[in-house]
Amino acid sequence: MSVDWFLVVSALVFCIGAGGVLTRRNPLVVLLCLELMLNAANIALIAFARMWGNVDGQIFAIVVMVVAACEVCIGLGLVVAIYRRRLPIDVDELRELQG
Amino acid sequence: MSLSILVWVPLAAATVGLLVPGAGSRFAGIPGAAAACVLAIVTVVRFKTGTPGLQFVTDETWIAELGIHYKLGVDGLNLFLILLATVLFLASAIWASFTEWERPGLFFFWFGLAESGVLGALTAQDLALFVIFFDLMLVPFLFLTGTWGGDNRVAAIIKLFIYTLVGSLLMLSAAIATGVLAPGNGITFVLSDLATRRLPTGSQEWIFLFFAAAFLVKMPAFPLHGWMPDGYRAMPLPVLAVFSGILSKVAAYGFLRVVLPLYPNASVHFQELMLLIALASILYGSAMAFTTTNARLILGYSSVAQLGFIVLGIFSLRPEGAQGAIIQAVNHGLVVAPAFFIVALLAARAGGAEDIRLMGGIAFRAPVLATMFLIVTFALLAMPGSSNFVGEFLILLGVFRAKIVFAIIAFSGVVMASVYALRMFIRAMHNRVGPQVATREMSFADGLVLVPLVLAILAFALYPQIALNKGQASVVRSIGPAVQVQQQASATQHAEVGP
Amino acid sequence: MQASAWLILLCPLIGCIVIGLGYRVWPARVVGALGTVAIAAAFVFAVNATLHLQDRAEDQRQVVYTAWDYAVTAGVDAKLSILVDPLSMFMALVVTGVSTLIHLYSIAYLGGDRGYARFFAYLNFFVFSMLLLVLAANFLLLIVGWAFVGAASYMLISFWYRRTTATSAGIKAFVINVLGDVGLVLGTFFIFKQSGTLDFLGTFAKAPQVFPKGSADITAGCLLLLVGAFAKSAQVPLHTWLPDAMEGPTPVSALIHAATMVTAGVYLIARMHPLFERAPAAADVGAIVGAATLLIAGTIGLVVTDLKRVIAYSTMSQIGYMIMGVSAGAYVAGLFHLMTHAFFKALLFMAAGSVISAMGGEQNLDKMGGFRKAMPFTYACFIVGGLALSGIPPFSGFFSKDEILLVMGEQGGWKWALYVAGYLGAFLTAIYTWRMIFRAFHGEAVEPARDLEDGHLYHPPAPFNPASGEEEDVEVGFPGPEHHIAERAMPMKAAMSLLAVLATIGGVVLIPKTTTWLDDFLEPSFRGSSVVANPDDTLLVIGLILGTVLGLLGVFVAYTIWVRRPGTSARWVERFSFLHRLFVNKWYFDELIDLLVVRPALWFGRWGQQTFERVFVNNALVGGPSGIVRAGSAAVRAAQSGFLRAYAALLLFGVVAVGLYFLIQSA
Repeated sequence: MSVDWFLVVSALVFCIGAGGVLTRRNPLVVLLCLELMLNAANIALIAFARMWGNVDGQIFAIVVMVVAACEVCIGLGLVVAIYRRRLPIDVDELRELQG
Repeated sequence: MSLSILVWVPLAAATVGLLVPGAGSRFAGIPGAAAACVLAIVTVVRFKTGTPGLQFVTDETWIAELGIHYKLGVDGLNLFLILLATVLFLASAIWASFTEWERPGLFFFWFGLAESGVLGALTAQDLALFVIFFDLMLVPFLFLTGTWGGDNRVAAIIKLFIYTLVGSLLMLSAAIATGVLAPGNGITFVLSDLATRRLPTGSQEWIFLFFAAAFLVKMPAFPLHGWMPDGYRAMPLPVLAVFSGILSKVAAYGFLRVVLPLYPNASVHFQELMLLIALASILYGSAMAFTTTNARLILGYSSVAQLGFIVLGIFSLRPEGAQGAIIQAVNHGLVVAPAFFIVALLAARAGGAEDIRLMGGIAFRAPVLATMFLIVTFALLAMPGSSNFVGEFLILLGVFRAKIVFAIIAFSGVVMASVYALRMFIRAMHNRVGPQVATREMSFADGLVLVPLVLAILAFALYPQIALNKGQASVVRSIGPAVQVQQQASATQHAEVGP
Repeated sequence: MQASAWLILLCPLIGCIVIGLGYRVWPARVVGALGTVAIAAAFVFAVNATLHLQDRAEDQRQVVYTAWDYAVTAGVDAKLSILVDPLSMFMALVVTGVSTLIHLYSIAYLGGDRGYARFFAYLNFFVFSMLLLVLAANFLLLIVGWAFVGAASYMLISFWYRRTTATSAGIKAFVINVLGDVGLVLGTFFIFKQSGTLDFLGTFAKAPQVFPKGSADITAGCLLLLVGAFAKSAQVPLHTWLPDAMEGPTPVSALIHAATMVTAGVYLIARMHPLFERAPAAADVGAIVGAATLLIAGTIGLVVTDLKRVIAYSTMSQIGYMIMGVSAGAYVAGLFHLMTHAFFKALLFMAAGSVISAMGGEQNLDKMGGFRKAMPFTYACFIVGGLALSGIPPFSGFFSKDEILLVMGEQGGWKWALYVAGYLGAFLTAIYTWRMIFRAFHGEAVEPARDLEDGHLYHPPAPFNPASGEEEDVEVGFPGPEHHIAERAMPMKAAMSLLAVLATIGGVVLIPKTTTWLDDFLEPSFRGSSVVANPDDTLLVIGLILGTVLGLLGVFVAYTIWVRRPGTSARWVERFSFLHRLFVNKWYFDELIDLLVVRPALWFGRWGQQTFERVFVNNALVGGPSGIVRAGSAAVRAAQSGFLRAYAALLLFGVVAVGLYFLIQSA
């Protein structure tokens, strides 16, 4: 199997994820889509690992998963905090960090 | 004795002061200022008169690639300004300790930082170092005014800050250009090296204008003085005393230390322009001073006029003019700080009002205060017999010999000074008692601040020679290049006109 | 002699400091005694120094003593040095002598005043300043003394500082004085430009070489020195401060505005005579202004109703004589008149103070009359002073005035006009002097006079300001509630008696053709003066007779108008109403100065405040950069919208753009 197919799948998943981040308003969904983007990157990495025949790509993919996990923790923590303060769970409404 | 100690001890002491708990932090500013004052007196005493070079030099290479050195030095130009700075900061620190500030430790930290910045600017012998200190000394005032100032403080101080920094930005670009464009091997910012590497005349001219803009904004000089009324109204008085007393003098000193030796061709070229600006400052400042009714603004506009005289002396490009400018810088600082202190005392006796229309008749039951105020008033208007007069005499003599018309017009500033100074004194102290006035004599604590300053004014009036002695050689060296250029120019003129 | 010379200066200064520092400690008697003794000591030292000076050879009588360097730098050589020579000793003797008597007078006159100690401290400071002025050996120290005297004058004029009239008069006097200072400094610059030294003796020695006669520099310098002299000596047009200066207590008027400070201008011209002789244009201006002043002041004196102001205008007029004299080269005559004038004018002021006290503070001549019986001693003093002032022999004023006019006549040419003006002025002097005396002492006795004849001193129901009539707030305690008249106060009587004796016999030092004591004494200071002084005998006799006749005629005219035929003055006012209005309004000088100087300055200041400052400086220059920076940062801030999706989009598309760029580049 040539590596192209994997890359196409990866690109597709990445675009779906990016589209979701740009268009969805619920922060949970945005986080989900971010996960999609990260996993798309993982697919690409593993495909290349397979192409080159060494495990570097796979190791990097595991690192990415770790980073994703941490970032999701913080993101979900923020969402819970927002819910607890009864603020609207809407990314467009949460804009106090403006200049 | 290293100058670095003198420069950094106020900041160090102020940082320690941040840690002092509770009641003690009211006096946190005094140890640092006192130590600096003692060190300054030691420096003055150990200064050898008659040699034109720098003394007590500290010279370390700081950023080798850019040729920036950490170089500090003292000579006749800045010796008495350093003493003035430390004395004024000490007096203001003692004065500030009378009031209950919120978070006094922080207040005095900014105070100490300001003093270190000023002392650094006065002793720096490297152009980049000078620019750094020049901008650094302004930062604490932003916080001092913004947090502890009067009405409308935030808007006023931001306006002041932006305005001054625009000037400083121009100065920074000019300084960088000087370092880069100076002919010779490698890049250097050390002033003594730059003095030997003269820039081409075209570059000199725009660099001169940028430096002049920065310094004229700081002084302030007409027409760049717009920040002054709001700024002066907003600052707390002890802060205003040092701001008006010493920061403006750093700008005047900057002309003599940096601009005249490094850009002599431009100085000669723009001499008449600068004299004109100085003259306009004198006339405008004096006229505004005797028509305004806010006591702070009277002193503020009078500072515009007095700094105009100093610029007049500097740009007469004659040794007596420059000597007069130096001694006048010291005198004016020495007079304006007690004047602001007296304004505070007057306001305390007039129900908090600083408007002279609400004052009157305060001299009754306060004879010592009245006498001190009268002495300060006479010194402010440069009455002959005061050291201020000696400065003015030398300045006007210099301008008289350089461009006689400017001198004759400047004399009207002398007459106007007598009007505004005496008017303030009379409206505050004499005539019928004002509507809100409750007069009383100075307290011992007030005397502790005011009497030494007044005695210093009197001592200086008796023997102004002390400042003139130490300054002479350095002044001649500072204006030397410009005078030389002028002489060459007139020589070529005569050759062209010739037989 | 050096110690004596310095002590002349230091005694008054020490007196001032001691009284000032102990103002709460010393009781009133001690303060008065201290002040008077300080000046008396200065007088003693002056006598001592003079005697030592006379011991020296004639060509060694100009000695300089230096204390320390004052401002020596860059070609300027100003040191703290004093010059002891006959001229300065003469001035010092007159100043300290008359001052001692005035201090004596003040001990009684100001009794009960809350500012007693302050008064004596200021008065001592004034004497110190005046002595500094006359003893100065270089231009800078002269200017310092000049300014100190102006400051002392200000402090003493506004002594009763609760009165707005007094404080306005004070600042007016001070500002005009500063104008004179400016003239003095600028004149010094012109002279220094050529002479290269600020020292008097050095400048005078170099004068023949560096100042060609009539050159622009020396003429400009001398004209500017004259500006200073005119401001200090209250000559036209810088005279408007002197009448207002009568707001000060009477001893102040006697000392400063009659005997000493206003004569500083005369001293200046006399001291600078080598320079004035090389600038004949300036000297002529001086003479003309002196003559004009003596006439103008004389005419105003005829119509003024305030007692002290009559004497003030008389002072202005007499100083006009002195200025005219020294400008034209009659140095000794001018200084002689200075001395005699000090005697009889101080006497007149002291006597006036006595009358004003008897009136309970009222100074208006219209309200006075008939004090002859109630105050015989004061009346006698007025008579002696009046006779001396009118120039009637054998009183001192006769000899001194005629000496000056004699020199005018000798010089001839257009100076004959000054000669005539001088004698016309003498006639006017006699008239207004005796007008004053007759109105105050003759005629029907007013209420205060009748009270005094009965034996008790009149007190007004409520204390009031004599100039404006408004009621004073005496809770502050001053001006003192007590009034002191000469008949009842020994110190006042003593001082006035001594001055009366001096006014009578003072002329003996320089009787023409008989004694030449003053001439001989002052000779070393005026050696080398190019003005010839050989009196023509016929002219001398004519002058003496003319002076006497005009003086007596003036007395007679005054007697006729104000005593014999009381309605005459009212009729004359009606007939010459235009002239009367001109004189009463002091020739409109105050209005002229207000129009030309004060209003434009205030207008400029107000225009600056309201228009320029607001529009140009604030909005354009400060608002400009400020506004630009604010606008710039507002524009940049728009990117920080806080809108998460915008950030994400920007991030994504930015990365894509960068990636595409590198991709295409490498392809």
